[in-house]
Amino acid sequence: MRRYLRTLLRAAGLALASAIAGAACAHEMRPGYLELREAEPATYALLWKRPTGGEVEIQIAPVIPDGCSFATRDRQQLTPGAVLVRGTLSCSGGLAGKTLRIDGLDITVTDVLVRIQHADGRLENHLLRPATPSVTLGAATSGLERARSYLQLGVQHILLGVDHLLFVLGLLLIVSDRWMLVKTITAFTLAHSITLAIATLGYASAPLLPLNAAIALSILFLGPEIVRAWRGETSFTIRHPWVVAFAFGLLHGFGFASGLTAMGLPRAEIPLALLLFNVGVELGQIAFVVLVILLERAFRTLEIHWPRLIEALPGYTVGSLGAYWTIQRTALLF
Amino acid sequence: MMRRPLAAIAGAALLLVPGIAHAHLLNTGLGPVYDGISHLFLSVEDLLPVAAMALLAGLNGPVAGRRALFALPAAWLAGGFAGYLVAVAILPTGITALSLLVLGILTAADRRIRPAIVTALAAALGLLHGWLNGAAIATAGREAMELIGIAGAILVVAALVSALVVSLRLSWARIAVRVAGSWIAATGLLLLGWTLSGRL
Repeated sequence: MRRYLRTLLRAAGLALASAIAGAACAHEMRPGYLELREAEPATYALLWKRPTGGEVEIQIAPVIPDGCSFATRDRQQLTPGAVLVRGTLSCSGGLAGKTLRIDGLDITVTDVLVRIQHADGRLENHLLRPATPSVTLGAATSGLERARSYLQLGVQHILLGVDHLLFVLGLLLIVSDRWMLVKTITAFTLAHSITLAIATLGYASAPLLPLNAAIALSILFLGPEIVRAWRGETSFTIRHPWVVAFAFGLLHGFGFASGLTAMGLPRAEIPLALLLFNVGVELGQIAFVVLVILLERAFRTLEIHWPRLIEALPGYTVGSLGAYWTIQRTALLF
Repeated sequence: MMRRPLAAIAGAALLLVPGIAHAHLLNTGLGPVYDGISHLFLSVEDLLPVAAMALLAGLNGPVAGRRALFALPAAWLAGGFAGYLVAVAILPTGITALSLLVLGILTAADRRIRPAIVTALAAALGLLHGWLNGAAIATAGREAMELIGIAGAILVVAALVSALVVSLRLSWARIAVRVAGSWIAATGLLLLGWTLSGRL
């Protein structure tokens, strides 16, 4: 009977792992970017960046507002990580009051940042999301609204980045005391902030597909370490998890940067975007860490004694998902 | 003389009228699981009974808290999938009001209840509200995965609230929980009144 129960629990664990893996694969969080710059009255230079080259092809395209037409033919260019479309848009009576829509956005989980630079200096920023794939143009955007959209992007990026969250969960399962937890999370934060800044400012870059495979490998690496820690064994990672958090954090930072670099923001906008995007990522990460700690304390207060198999499940889930993603993402390289 | 029984029958009949499947279903843009999580936190008619159940379970000690913690989301999920498959809200509109009233009174009274009864209450609450959620999700043509998000959020809320109540040592803190229970009961009574008068 116990054997059947064990098999059933293992099957449930595997089903859960594959469900998470499937869900995470579909979550491509690399936003698109649409820029309209008013060169002459009612004439706008258009730049559209659609992210490509990830695990899932994002099929989105802007629908030109009614009353607008291309004055010059749109030119396409394939760059690493994005398809660029440029053209000149002529809109009778300007863009005020016109509706801009991103076709296909409602069936994705990504966002599109729309930035409109008017001739009179007004700046309009809109973050279009699957729930709100269209916007009526015209109103100038305050600095606070722009800041909020970057902050929102950061929070979303970490919440949808199941692989990043799983890595943080893995670290939480390894650390033994509160001080080590603070050190480890700080090291991870510091490391991914460094590479996020370097990549966003354009000093270094990492190709997306090998990077994703390496991030998956970092999760796979933690799986056996969690099981070792659970068995009471020791290793370099268990003694110094902050070193591992820092080393792999550098990789994860390049992953976070894909959320900003895919958009190719104007240089003047980068410091604000970088700062607030990173703050958003940290807020999401802190919320996740606090939630896990509170839940662990709640389970202890309620005197929940998990069966040994369930106790080992987080370690095996982290390891299995890490292995699954590593194989899947490595296969995509060829 | 006949007016009172007639009014009571009419009231009971109104309570038993099947409700229209409605819930605060929203599109967060982050996928169905996050939609489900957001649903719980934006739907007072679901969040409040869950909080009331967790308060009651916590007042009755760690055993009741532990059992309710697993029974509530599991029953919610089971009821939700059943409601999703049938896609009809065959449950009366007064379910939320009755849940709040019963759980609020029990919390305010702070009488020791056997863990088995607390577990049964949690399972009943989960099945009924889960059914309504599942039917609403199916009627709106949305994904059943939202139920996973809702059940996950319920597990978190129930764990945190009941553990907090279990850990309370000061007598005034326990009184505060009972006061919260009385407010929940009052909310239930208000909702019940609105349901009977046909405002809901």
